[in-house]
Amino acid sequence: MPVVRLELTRFTKMVGTGRKEILDRLPYIGLDIESSDSKSVRVEYSPNRPDLGTDFGIARALRGLLGTETGLPEFRTKPTGIKVAVDPRLSKVRPYIACCVATGLDLDDEDVRQLISLQEDLHNGLGRKRRTVAIGLHDLDAVSPPLSYRGVPSTFKFLPLGADKPSSIRSILSDTYEGRAYGHVFGDSDVFPVISDSKGTVMSFPPIINGNATRVTTKTKRMFVDVTSTGQKAGDDVLAILATTLSEAGGKLGTVAVRYPDKTRATPDLSPTVLPLDLGLVNSVVGLDLPRREILACLARSRMGVRGSKAVGPRYRVDLLHPVDVAEEVALGYGIDRIGPVYPPSKAPGAFNPFEEFLDSVSTVMAGAGMIETMTYELTDRRTLYDHFERPSSEMVTVQNPKSLDHSMLRDALVPALMAVLSGNVKSDYPQRVFEIGRTYARTRDGVKESWHLGCLVAHSQSSYTEAKMYLEAACRVVAGLEVATRAAEHWAFSPGRCASIAVKDHGLGYVGELKPGAIDAFGVGVPVSGFEIDLSKLYELLK
Amino acid sequence: MSTALHPIERKILSALAPLGSAPFEALVAATSLNVDQVRRALQWLTSKGLVTIGGSVEGRLELVREPPELDLLRKVGQSTAPATIGQLRGEFGSPEEFSAAFGRARGSGWISVEGGAAPVVRLVDTAGAEPLRSLVRAVASGKAERDFTKEESALVTDLLKRGIVRRIETRTTTVAITDEGRRSSSPTESEDFIDRLTPNILASGEWRGRKLRPIDVEAKAPRYFPGRRHPVRDFIREVREVYVSMGFTELQGDSVHPAFWNFDALFIPQDHPGRDMQDTFYLDGLADRTLSRSGVVARVASAHEDGWTTGSRGWGYRWRIEEARRLVLRTHNTVLSVRALSESQEKETRVFAVSKVYRNENLDYKHLAEFYQMDGIMVGKGLNVRHLMGFLAEFYKKLGMADVKLWPTYFPYTEPSLQIVGFSKAFKSWIELGGSGVFRPEVTQPLGVKVPVLAWGPGIERLMLMRFGLEDMRTLYGSDLSWLRNRGELAGS
Repeated sequence: MPVVRLELTRFTKMVGTGRKEILDRLPYIGLDIESSDSKSVRVEYSPNRPDLGTDFGIARALRGLLGTETGLPEFRTKPTGIKVAVDPRLSKVRPYIACCVATGLDLDDEDVRQLISLQEDLHNGLGRKRRTVAIGLHDLDAVSPPLSYRGVPSTFKFLPLGADKPSSIRSILSDTYEGRAYGHVFGDSDVFPVISDSKGTVMSFPPIINGNATRVTTKTKRMFVDVTSTGQKAGDDVLAILATTLSEAGGKLGTVAVRYPDKTRATPDLSPTVLPLDLGLVNSVVGLDLPRREILACLARSRMGVRGSKAVGPRYRVDLLHPVDVAEEVALGYGIDRIGPVYPPSKAPGAFNPFEEFLDSVSTVMAGAGMIETMTYELTDRRTLYDHFERPSSEMVTVQNPKSLDHSMLRDALVPALMAVLSGNVKSDYPQRVFEIGRTYARTRDGVKESWHLGCLVAHSQSSYTEAKMYLEAACRVVAGLEVATRAAEHWAFSPGRCASIAVKDHGLGYVGELKPGAIDAFGVGVPVSGFEIDLSKLYELLK
Repeated sequence: MSTALHPIERKILSALAPLGSAPFEALVAATSLNVDQVRRALQWLTSKGLVTIGGSVEGRLELVREPPELDLLRKVGQSTAPATIGQLRGEFGSPEEFSAAFGRARGSGWISVEGGAAPVVRLVDTAGAEPLRSLVRAVASGKAERDFTKEESALVTDLLKRGIVRRIETRTTTVAITDEGRRSSSPTESEDFIDRLTPNILASGEWRGRKLRPIDVEAKAPRYFPGRRHPVRDFIREVREVYVSMGFTELQGDSVHPAFWNFDALFIPQDHPGRDMQDTFYLDGLADRTLSRSGVVARVASAHEDGWTTGSRGWGYRWRIEEARRLVLRTHNTVLSVRALSESQEKETRVFAVSKVYRNENLDYKHLAEFYQMDGIMVGKGLNVRHLMGFLAEFYKKLGMADVKLWPTYFPYTEPSLQIVGFSKAFKSWIELGGSGVFRPEVTQPLGVKVPVLAWGPGIERLMLMRFGLEDMRTLYGSDLSWLRNRGELAGS
C-alpha cells in the first residue's frame, strides 16, 4: 500500500485542527496510520483512492468530515490556447495524451516532495507500473508551444533528464535503469512516442524518461502536465487527480487542446461524476432511516453534492461506479463509529462439515496414541520432496515465480514434510513420534487432484516396521472400525523388504515401512525411522 | 531429613558401613552396580548427609623416552671402530635430535672431538653421566617424586621441560559414611518391608500386616511427553464451534481454483495489481480449459466490462477468458462462499470455512505464504452494515476479543468495505484483524443473488499470537518439537 507522509506543523494548518483530532479521524476516511511521532504521521492509503495520495488531498477530505469545508469542491479551468498534435502512427503504441497547465504556483520543497510522491504512486497504481499510464511534469517557461506527440524511430536522439549528452532511443532502452525496467511496454514496436515543442526540444519519452530541458523545481511558477496512456479513461482519471491536487496547491488550471486526426479534445475535463441518488438503497445498505436532508448533509461531509435525483462526486473520485458507492459515502459522512451494531439472530441451526469433523477426530485419535501433531507448509522444495529420496521429479506441480525456492512446488505426500520435521529436531529428546493431517496435490492430465493424507513417523533407536504397523492398525481400527491388510510392496520412501502397501476392502490406501537409510541420512536424522501414510479422502469415501 | 531410601542407596550404604570409607571404584565393585548408578546415588546420599565425598590428587612420573645424550654415549661406546660424526648422525632419527644429544654430551664434557676432515668422537668422562642414568632408572621403576633428592628434582624439572619425562596425575575419590548414614543402613530398619508389590504377593496375602518400604518420593521421574493435537487445530476447532453456535454451516473445498472464481467472480479487474504473479501463486502450465464465456461466466465478464445490468459503469476494459482460466492457489476463502452462492442461490443462508489461503510472500515475523482465514458470509433480505457490525462484535466476543471496531477501507468486491480492528490488551493498541463488507451488486447479481450478502475474511494467526503471547507467526508452523511438546495447554485462554 502506498504511503503519504503528513508533516504536522504544515498539516494541522491545512486541516485547521490539532494532532489528536487528526489521528483520531484519519482511520474514518479509510487511512491506516502506519507510524507517527511528534513531527509527522505516515499513513497508508488504498490505490483506488489516489486522490488521498498527498497531504493536500487528505486535508481536503478531513475538512469535509470535520464539517469545516463541506460539499463538492469546484475546479475552474481556462483555455490556455496551447495545442498538442497527436501522430496517428502512435495508435498501436500509446495512443492517448491528456495535458493541463497550472499557473501562479509558489511551491516549497515539501509541496514538490508531495507531488513527486503522488506521481510515483500513480505510476505504480492506476498506471500499472507505467504500462498503462505515464506522467510528465514540466516547467512551462522552458516550453515553446504548440507541441507534438509523435512517433519516432529507435535511432532518434535527444538529451534525457540528468544526462550531459544526447542519447538514442535504442541506447536509452538498453543502457538506462528506466529503459530496462519499463522498455518492455513497447513489445516489438519500431515506433516510439516522444513529446516535443515547436523548437524540437524533446520534453518526454513516455513512459521511460523526461527530457532535461523542462525539469520542475521550486522555482517553477507555471507547470505543464502530460499524461500518456494506452486507454483514454485511465489517462483522464490520472490527469484529473493531478490537476485537482495542483489546484489545492494554489495553482490556476488551464486547458490544453489535444488534436487527434478525427477530433479535438480540451483536457482536463473536470466535470463531476454523476450517479443516481437512491435514498431507499442508501438506507437499506446502511441500515438507518435517514431523511433526505440528513443524507445530503452526510454527502456534503464526504465532499459530494446533490443535483435533484442525482448524486455528484468530484472528478478526482475515480472509484465511484455504482449507486451503492453513494451509500458508502453517506455512511462515511454520517460516521462509521456512530452507526450502532444490530445482532442478527440465526433462524436455522448451524452444522459442521462431516469431512472436517472426520479429520478432526483423526487428530484426536493420533494424539491419544502418543503422537505430536505438526502443521507444515503445503508448498515445499525439490530437495525435500524428491532429491533426498532419490526419486524422479517428472510429476512436479510447480508454481510460477515463487518468491522463495523453499515454497516452489506443491507436495504430493506428507512423509517428506515429516522427515524435514525430524531433521529440524535432532537435538530434541527421543523417541520422537509425529503425525500430520494435510492436503496433498497429484498431477492429473490437465489439472491437479487434491486429497487429504495422514502421515506418521516414529524415530528412535528401536523404531521398526512392526511399531509403524501397530500405529497404523490402531488408527484405522479406532477412527474407522476397519482392519487393514498389508502386502509386500515397493515405495520410494521405504527400504525394499521392509515396506508394504495398505489396503482396505481391496482399495489401496497407502504405504507403511521403514524409511530408506539413504533418506534418513540425507535428512541428517541419526536414528532409524519407520512410519506410514494413508489417503484419508479415500478412507472417508469407503466409510460412506 | 527423609529416611526414605532408594534400593540403590541402601545397597551402597550397607557396602560402605563395614568399611567406614572406600575409594569410589572399590564401592562400584563391592555393590556390582554400574558407575552411573553409583555416581547418581552418591549425589542423593550426599545431599541427605548420609555420606561425605573426599578426593585427593596424586602425581606419578613416567619416562617418555630415553634422553638422547645417553643414547649417544652408548652408541659411541658400542662402536668397534672410532665413530665419526657423520656415522653417528645417520644412526639418529633426525639431524636435530643428533645435534641436541651431541651438544649436551660435549657441553657436559662427556665426549671430545678429534681429527679434521672426518672428525671422530671419543668418550672422555662416562661417569659424569651417571646421575642422569640413575635418575632415568628411578623414574622408570616408579620411584615416588617425594623421595627424590634436591639434585634429582632439578634434573626432573629439566627432563619435564624437554618432554622426556611427564607427570601423570590421578584423582582418587573416597567415600565415607557418616553416623547418620550408619543409622540409616542399620539392618533393623529394613527388616520386614515389601520392596515391590507383585501379583504373587497380592494373591498370597503376604502383604497383610507388612509395610511397603518407603521410597524417595522427592526423586526425579523420567521426562515424558504426551501426544498432542496442534495448537492451530485446537484454535480452528474453537472458531468452528463459535460459527456453528451462531447458525453457520461449514464449507469444505479445494485449494486450487480457476482465477475466475478466485478473482473475476469477485469483481477484481484482470489487471488489478493483486492478481500479479508477485502476489499470487499460479500453477505452472495448468488451466481450466472447460471454462467458457457463457452463463455465469458471461454475466461476470459483462459486469467487468460495462456493468452488465447491475447499474454499474463497470471497469471499462476488455475482459479475457484466458486470464480467467489460469489455475491459482486460492488467495482467500471467499472463493468457497461465492461458489456455494452461485450453486445454491438460496435467499437465506450462513456459511463459513476456516482453511488455508496462499500468497506469494517472503516469510518474516508477520508474513506467511500459507495461513488460515476464517471466512464467512451471511445472505438474507434486509441485511445491512449494522448487522455486519452486530455479527462481528458477537463473533469476536466469543473468541475472547471484546473490543472490536470497524474502520472504512477498500476492497473491489464490497461496498461499504470495513476493516476489523481489535484492541489487544497485550500490545495495548488496535490490531488489524481482517476485512469485511457488503458484497457489491456487481458480485451478487451475475451469480443470480438478489438479496444482500455480508462477507468477511479475517485471519486467525494474529489472534493466536495474542493468545499465546508470541511475536513471530512462523513459530506456529515451525514444528519445533520442544514448543509443541512443552507449551502450556491453557496458555492465554
